[in-house]
Amino acid sequence: MKSLLRLALAAGLLLTGTLGASAAASSKLVVAFLPKSKGNAYFISCKAGAEKAAKELGVELLFDGPTDSNAAKQNEIVENWITLGVDVIAVAAENKEGISTALRKAQKAGIKVVTYDADSMPDSRSFFVNQATPEGIGHALMDDAARLLNGEGEFAIITASLTAANQREWQKHIEARLKEKYPKMKIVAVRPCDDLKDKAQSEATALMSANPNLKLIMAICSPGVPGAAEAVKQAGKTGKVKVIGLGLPNENKRYVHEGVTDTVILWNTGDLGYLTIYAGVALAKGELKPGAKSFKAGTLGTFAIAGDHILLGKPFAFNKGNIDQFNF
Amino acid sequence: MNRYFRELSVVGALVVVLVAMAIFAPAFFQPQPLLSLVTREAPTLVVACGMALVIISRQIDISVGSIFSVVSVCAGLLAARGWPLALVLPAAAGIGALLGVVNGILVAGLRLPSIVVTLATMVTLRQGLNLVRQGEFVNMPDAVQWFGLPQTNGQWLLVGAALALLVLLGVAMRHVSAGRFVYAVGTDAEAARLAGIRPQLVTLLVFVFLGALTGCAAMMNIVQSPQVQPLSGMGLELKVIAAIVVGGVAISGGRGNLWGAFAGLLLLACVAPALTHLHVEAYWEKAIQGGIILLAVVADGVRSRKGRR
Repeated sequence: MKSLLRLALAAGLLLTGTLGASAAASSKLVVAFLPKSKGNAYFISCKAGAEKAAKELGVELLFDGPTDSNAAKQNEIVENWITLGVDVIAVAAENKEGISTALRKAQKAGIKVVTYDADSMPDSRSFFVNQATPEGIGHALMDDAARLLNGEGEFAIITASLTAANQREWQKHIEARLKEKYPKMKIVAVRPCDDLKDKAQSEATALMSANPNLKLIMAICSPGVPGAAEAVKQAGKTGKVKVIGLGLPNENKRYVHEGVTDTVILWNTGDLGYLTIYAGVALAKGELKPGAKSFKAGTLGTFAIAGDHILLGKPFAFNKGNIDQFNF
Repeated sequence: MNRYFRELSVVGALVVVLVAMAIFAPAFFQPQPLLSLVTREAPTLVVACGMALVIISRQIDISVGSIFSVVSVCAGLLAARGWPLALVLPAAAGIGALLGVVNGILVAGLRLPSIVVTLATMVTLRQGLNLVRQGEFVNMPDAVQWFGLPQTNGQWLLVGAALALLVLLGVAMRHVSAGRFVYAVGTDAEAARLAGIRPQLVTLLVFVFLGALTGCAAMMNIVQSPQVQPLSGMGLELKVIAAIVVGGVAISGGRGNLWGAFAGLLLLACVAPALTHLHVEAYWEKAIQGGIILLAVVADGVRSRKGRR
């Protein structure tokens, strides 16, 4: 009876376009991978790494998610996976509290749960694969600015808003790193762009005319990076005023290739998916237990674990040489 | 003199700011960056012209930011598909006008309060766009930027077009009967009706006109960079309404003109780059803009009380 139900469910899932669901009945471990939204290029690039890991480990990978970022739909998919009896569920939570009830239910059913990209409540999963710490991001940005300016000169920061918690956190770590390692560098201004590319462009234009010695603009919100780059390009200061920032490859490709933007900092999304699958499978096999201090994930090597966060480690720098390999 | 006192006081404030900048931060007036900054405000001026008409007719439209975003993305996608700009521009104006028709019919046809109607369309359009695009930028071909002209020519073209619109509309509002109808409806719709004007038709048309201008403005914005951010235009309604109120257009309708709105826009737009040049912390930007708006509203309040006496 139960296997009939499974078969029916599997058939249903196949009809709705989910791949490999029938594998739930086979002996292979089944890992279900839930993005915030399955059409989003960012998560598709995570999935590429997840697929690679699944192939190496010989496990079956299920990939499904809402077509838009829909918290209720995420719950529905998790419920389906519980009924289906998968072994591992890996989730990027759209709503931290919202998904947690379903995940607790999955744990009760003996399914191992890990989160990646965006965490759920700590008691509803074993580990969170943390893609970047504020300290890691702050240091990566500051170190890159120092590398480009040889540790000397004025630069300005474009932030999303002066009050946003994450932006303030990053800025704090940038300033700390500056104080600690680069005494000859100076932040001459911090301007908010309200997360608008257009406003970032205006701000960067004014920053350059107000600060003739400005050597670099660092944008710590993703729309700020192409906004600043366009301003630098229009001012004819390509190369004289460098642009770096925290952003997405697709929004910055043209400026990186034109030599306006030097580096875009983020994390390697493929690695994030890869590490998540390795962690989930190790958990299911009993190789990874709560309290572990480090974890080895296939060809990527060993990762540190802080509490119940598996750290992806240093942010990834996209530049002229590698940016075309990423599509999100 | 007395008649234009309100507008002239804004111009006076603007002159004070500019003189102060000339003394304390002359780098503010470097031609290339200044032209770039002015060009960035050209689309805002176009929307402000349309919004002034809506406010003078005693309505308001807070959905312009969302209309701007929707048109920006649609026009960007059409341009990315290889449509010639000669077709994208009328399409942009058309989509904007169509969204204006929706607002106009709900307000004029069903006699619903415009602030509620446009609040609803603002949220619906914004969320709809988020759903479809999920924040993803639209990448356009290089030839779209500046309509394929050299950068400086393109910038002058945009600034010139916005100013030409301002002058044409500014004159028309005073000397063409359609312009005077807008004032009449905003002052007293019932009296206007008795005088043979159709207030509901005027209301519908100002919304459609604002929609079309917002579409054009979106087009004037997307040609300034090779990518469209779906979020662009967020907060535009506040910027535009603030400029108009500062410029002396009465939010209760019937009074004010485009010249004042223009001066108000320039004054508010000056604040951010002026602070950057004076090396003042960015925290002050919104506080100063808020102060200017408050001052304008208080001045209007005092004036209307005196008027009643």
